[in-house]
Amino acid sequence: MDDNLKIVGKRVVRSDSYAKVTGSALYTADLKLPGMLVAKVLRSPYPHAKIISIDVSGALKVPGVKAAVSGFDAYGVKWGVFRYTQDHAMLPTDKVRYIGEDVAAVAAVDEETALEGLSRIKVEYEPLDAVFDPVESMKDGAPQIHNEYKNNINIHVHIDVGEVDKAMAKAYLVREDTFKAAGEAYAMMEPYAVVASYANGYLDLWMPNAGPHVRAKALSNLLKIPLNRVRVRHINSGGAFGGRSEVAPGDLVASLLTIKSGRPVKLVLSREENATSSRQVHDIVATVKTGMKKDGTIVAKDYKVIYDGGAYSSTGPIATSIPFYVYEECYRFPNVRYNGYRVFTNKGIRGMYGCHGRAFLAGNEAQMDMMAKELGLDPVDVRLKNGLTAGEMTATKSKITSCGLKDTIIEASEKTNFKKRWKKKEKNRGIGMGCVAIMCGFPMGFRSGSSCYVKINDDGQVTLVTGLVDNGQGNESMVIQVASEVLGVPMEDINLVNADTEVTNLDPGAYSQAAAYVGANAVKAACENVRKRLISIASEKLGVPESDIDLKDRIAYSIKQPDKRMPISWIAREAFFRGEPIVATGSFFPDIDFEREWVTRPWGQMAGTFSFGTSVAEVEVDYETGKIIVPRFTAAHDCGRPINPMAVEGQMEGSIQQAGIATITEGNVWYRGFLLNPDLLEYKVPLACDMPEIDTIIVSSHDPKGPFGAKEGGLTVRMNAYSAIACAFTNATGILFEELPLTPDKVLNLLEKNKGVK
Amino acid sequence: MILPKFEYKKARTIEEALEIYSQYNGEAFYLAGGTDLVPLLKHRLFNPKVVIDIKGIEELKTITKKGGNLLVGPNATLYELKGTPEIQEKLPCLFQSLDATSCETLQMRGTIGGNIMQNTRCLQYNKSLEWRTARGFCYKMGGKTCNVVLNAKACYSNYCGDNAPSLMTVDAKARIVGPTGERTIKVEKLFSGDGKEPFTVKPGEILKGIIIPLKETKGAYEKLTVRGSIDYPLVGVAVTIKDGSAKVGVTGIGPCPRVYELKEVNEKEINNIADKAYEDAKPVLNAVLTPAYRKKMVGVLIKRAFKRIEKGGSR
Repeated sequence: MDDNLKIVGKRVVRSDSYAKVTGSALYTADLKLPGMLVAKVLRSPYPHAKIISIDVSGALKVPGVKAAVSGFDAYGVKWGVFRYTQDHAMLPTDKVRYIGEDVAAVAAVDEETALEGLSRIKVEYEPLDAVFDPVESMKDGAPQIHNEYKNNINIHVHIDVGEVDKAMAKAYLVREDTFKAAGEAYAMMEPYAVVASYANGYLDLWMPNAGPHVRAKALSNLLKIPLNRVRVRHINSGGAFGGRSEVAPGDLVASLLTIKSGRPVKLVLSREENATSSRQVHDIVATVKTGMKKDGTIVAKDYKVIYDGGAYSSTGPIATSIPFYVYEECYRFPNVRYNGYRVFTNKGIRGMYGCHGRAFLAGNEAQMDMMAKELGLDPVDVRLKNGLTAGEMTATKSKITSCGLKDTIIEASEKTNFKKRWKKKEKNRGIGMGCVAIMCGFPMGFRSGSSCYVKINDDGQVTLVTGLVDNGQGNESMVIQVASEVLGVPMEDINLVNADTEVTNLDPGAYSQAAAYVGANAVKAACENVRKRLISIASEKLGVPESDIDLKDRIAYSIKQPDKRMPISWIAREAFFRGEPIVATGSFFPDIDFEREWVTRPWGQMAGTFSFGTSVAEVEVDYETGKIIVPRFTAAHDCGRPINPMAVEGQMEGSIQQAGIATITEGNVWYRGFLLNPDLLEYKVPLACDMPEIDTIIVSSHDPKGPFGAKEGGLTVRMNAYSAIACAFTNATGILFEELPLTPDKVLNLLEKNKGVK
Repeated sequence: MILPKFEYKKARTIEEALEIYSQYNGEAFYLAGGTDLVPLLKHRLFNPKVVIDIKGIEELKTITKKGGNLLVGPNATLYELKGTPEIQEKLPCLFQSLDATSCETLQMRGTIGGNIMQNTRCLQYNKSLEWRTARGFCYKMGGKTCNVVLNAKACYSNYCGDNAPSLMTVDAKARIVGPTGERTIKVEKLFSGDGKEPFTVKPGEILKGIIIPLKETKGAYEKLTVRGSIDYPLVGVAVTIKDGSAKVGVTGIGPCPRVYELKEVNEKEINNIADKAYEDAKPVLNAVLTPAYRKKMVGVLIKRAFKRIEKGGSR
């Protein structure tokens, strides 16, 4: 069946496109419920201060204010993704830890009244010394942000494989460099919003989220409401990029307000609040030491990486690990030591990001090119030499099942004439290559798998029910396409019910790159079970063996005698007559080592499979102004079999913008605890006119366990595009970058410091 | 972020606008395109009792040629102005600065008057009330300190208009009308040099017109930004050469654009002016790129603009 696909692998129009381009798709801020109130949040003006008292009574005296809450109205439960990271009360009662932290909130009949209410809330603080730099924060005597974490070290991930020191001593060439990168803003198109409605003991919520089940679980804990009474509902999401996987303070705020007021409550953050008070991306300082043989073989890697974690743990252990893993899943490291520290500072909460780890990954790749040059090798050969292949194990014992890394390197370099241009470069111009691998899913306990329920309705149309989440990347359309392929009905005949904790089963969500490999696999399994039932009845009715029946265009037919045929709707009706409607479930659980733990046992099978990618950037550097221009960008991606190549290409293009061009424009700018660019004017998301000519190359491979051979689509580019830019910069100038983003001031500074370098 | 409450009045004539202004004792703002004003209001940087819409005043919209000058109504949009053949043919510096202003969508909304009279900007000023309250009010917000430069005696906010410096290089004048009558001044005289109150116009005065001499010129506008569109200039340099002499306008650093004159156009003069403009530029840490870099770029862009003119204007 795989080799004769009708819909999978085709460039179909996504199921959500029409609604989104015509503006009829609803997002959280569009929701209107009867009697709904507007919420506003009072935020901390201090980076670090003890809370002496919070008095919301003044707000309640304002006509139109229906509820006012602070952390004293909650249960004092602290949330953490892990048992050992439960440090986030969402509404604090002990102290505030960053400027913009949620302190109190009101719900009122309109926004003006809510603002008036906020102005009547009295909070007494005792300011404390604050710390904003993670390196300073680790020192003895620095202000202690949480009592539980010595030296403000939130997470320390320590990995030690082989004998690093010995191998380093024997290496032909050793190099150590330190790379920095400013944290980025997620800059989702949709600022965070949540609608909460509490009635009859049930709490219903709508918000852009990447995993409704984990959201509901967190709120159930925070509010001490049984899990089945917290229902996170489906709504379109205007982007997540890793920043919406976890419960948000606004979820608790809106929930408390609807419970208090008995009316639905809507909270919509401003663009500024979305930047200062939802989630931000880690600033990183990465020290990379590499030992190489004369032939370019990497013999040892020694890493120290410091992540600025902001005020709370968030997805800390994962964030501290991922940059390392996506790199060790790409290259062979016989000896490797990784010390990753996530450190608290008095800044906004830092979360996972689709482009997480740019200082580390771009640093590794650019350094590799410098070493290759010294050894008289080129980037292509060094990457091919050290790249992992199918069947190999990573340093931390994950088996690579399918691997198109080599093909992506070769295709991207041939397409760009890389070798020749890297060696004989034109003045002021450079070309660079970045590689990476991405795990398709990671250990999340019993939430690592997905299941799907399918029913065939009496008109032959299909309803799919799955926990799978779509944050804009096209996951919903993807599973409809998969179901359409298996069931032989057009995509428009398939209704999807998804990401609703009341009716759908557990799913890993859309933040571990598992949607295609896990979510779509479960949908495929369920549809195959339905297909068996359809074929069984058709075989009986048409009088041909089951093996002779195929489904196509809403029809079941005999392959040998095509005039023997019947509509699928007739089969469905027949099944209803028999009192056995056609319904089926299917599930998929990836082959992961569940003993694996981010801090205590960082080894074992990470994911069911891995995707691979190679990006090639071409840059021009203006030596007078320091401005970098990116005329062309080529990305090659092994995503297994692309279910919808057009959607994969869209993801790749978006990644070139968000990770690639952002390398020269994007970074948060701080003055102590104040975010200076919490807006889209001064935070420089690349614009259409800044985009290069793009070549996307899908290296179609076939993953043995992926649905129709598919793996995740697009994320590799998100984690290697900055490497390509950094390497191209090094090729153009002969200089390693020190800090990202490579804005013109930083570039000119580097050029002046390194005058005479060739 | 919602707008604060204010009354909205639409004036049909300049007289009517001035009358409303005095009725509200000056607690008023004039609204033309709104691209500068509306964000300021949303941030609660101003809380007027009334916003007087002057968009509908016909005489403020016209672009006419008269006696060797182009008379431009301040409510002409940047896009309309950019499309004016006389500007395209004779005033390349102005054409380029119009073209470099924000993006075309905003050029269609934003007016030349509003663009010239836009308020000065600072990373620590153009923020929400909540942000600024947490940070503490600076000079420009009525406070007693500068949040960027320790112990500063004045406000270092940046004037970021793209077109005032080009207008200065082509000797444009501004006609101002107000409660006490009408006057015509050079465009450079619109600027006070004080970041707190960047303009010399008196309360209630309206920019009535811009007089642009239509002489054959060569010119170029160089604008430094991180992105290819939308951004305000981190440094902007306007150069116009006319009858063998030249004028250079510099914008984006400090509270007013500065203009320089070259008696002759030769390498020595260009270098002198580039050095002088570099000396005069006093950027501080209130934009997204470092002050040292922005200062350096003043000289670089001046030389670059002249070089580009020499090569026939192409980039």
